[in-house]
Amino acid sequence: MSIEFLDPTHESGAAPFSLAKRLTTLKGATIGIVSNGKKGTQPFFDAVERELIERHGAAKVVRTTKSNYSAPAEAEIMTQTERWQALISGIGD
Amino acid sequence: MTTAARETQPASALGSKRYVADDAMAAQEFFHSRGWTDGLPVVPPTAQAVNACLEWALMPPGQLVGIEPVRQRPITAEKLAVNAVMAGCLPMHFPVVVAAFTAMLQEPFLLHGATASTGGCAILIVVNGPVRTELGMSGTFNALGPSDRATTVIGRAIRLILCNLLDARPGEVDRSTLGHPGKISYCVAEDEEHSPWLPLAEERGVPPHASAVTVMAAGAPRQFMNEWTTQPEEILDTYAAEIRANMRHYSIWPGNYALVVPPQLRAHLERAGWSKADVREYVFRKARIRRSEWRDCGKGSVVGERGDREYAAFGSPDVVLVIAAGGPAGGFGAVIAPWYGNKSRAVTLAIGACVDCEI
Repeated sequence: MSIEFLDPTHESGAAPFSLAKRLTTLKGATIGIVSNGKKGTQPFFDAVERELIERHGAAKVVRTTKSNYSAPAEAEIMTQTERWQALISGIGD
Repeated sequence: MTTAARETQPASALGSKRYVADDAMAAQEFFHSRGWTDGLPVVPPTAQAVNACLEWALMPPGQLVGIEPVRQRPITAEKLAVNAVMAGCLPMHFPVVVAAFTAMLQEPFLLHGATASTGGCAILIVVNGPVRTELGMSGTFNALGPSDRATTVIGRAIRLILCNLLDARPGEVDRSTLGHPGKISYCVAEDEEHSPWLPLAEERGVPPHASAVTVMAAGAPRQFMNEWTTQPEEILDTYAAEIRANMRHYSIWPGNYALVVPPQLRAHLERAGWSKADVREYVFRKARIRRSEWRDCGKGSVVGERGDREYAAFGSPDVVLVIAAGGPAGGFGAVIAPWYGNKSRAVTLAIGACVDCEI
């Protein structure tokens, strides 16, 4: 005997988020780095910062750190992102 | 038998997409093929069964139970009911599922972090009040395992909801390194009948005799044994030692530890006149380590300059969750550690309570 049943998933259509427009160059750009605050992010992002400036010509790298690495970034950080041309968000253990 | 199912058109107020399979086995395979189960068989969520849950809870299908804050995903009563039916819930179990998930959606619980973390916690649900006996829950034998139908299916419903509504499947949003068996189902009813202690929910502000749930982002139970003393202090020293072990081996940060106290140990505490508040206060004082102890555990590289600093397992005695549960014999107890300190806080909510209704 056939059986009819309901879909258990959220059935949302497209994801509510989309990728930001890609930059064609990093030259002269202000780039933000949002760390989740774990110990391993420090040396990793130090190296990323150097690469962005020395190899790709970024004008400035702004480093920020979330206060809780398991929670979304605070509103103050999100406000800052509006002044950046690009953002790198990363975790580290 | 076929694993294919056909999409059909809805014919009632329920908004979920519908499928038709040739038979119950075909439906099972369809659910497995979509990744909609936890690996166990599910009860096909028919419209009739889902409506029965909603009617029992007096909830219209579209009622908004809450919004998952990180991805802004709305959680409706209908979708909770679909997953509850799949887990094996009867209509009378559904209000407990709704209360537990509503509690999980409260900001202090940090739902996304708790369910996505590599830390691998599960959602522990502690049930208090008359609903326990109404649903045939048992807080005695095998209390932290599959002790009875109601706790098993309610705990499982929460896991299926996380998988199907928030994509917390392994390797998707659930990034657990190890996880633990409580992720299948982790629900316990407090044994209020065999203890003079205040029920957990009442200690946490719910009126006496009201039914309630407490949810906690929880590690696996750490079971210990001490049947060689009748002294409250010595019994609780074993609890504190188990907490300290967790602080040494897992996380040093303070949080909502749960202490599960079965009857044999409880009897000694109760006979000596110790209340839950006394237990919490004693363990608060004893569950502390110095950071330098990490050197004994292979973590010397992160001791740094703070080796002499003392770390307490709790910010205050109030955050300790003391739960009376377990079978009548055996000098065992258990500590359930929080997922990574106090990033997620335990939330207690009365069943049927509205968290954002205007009074």
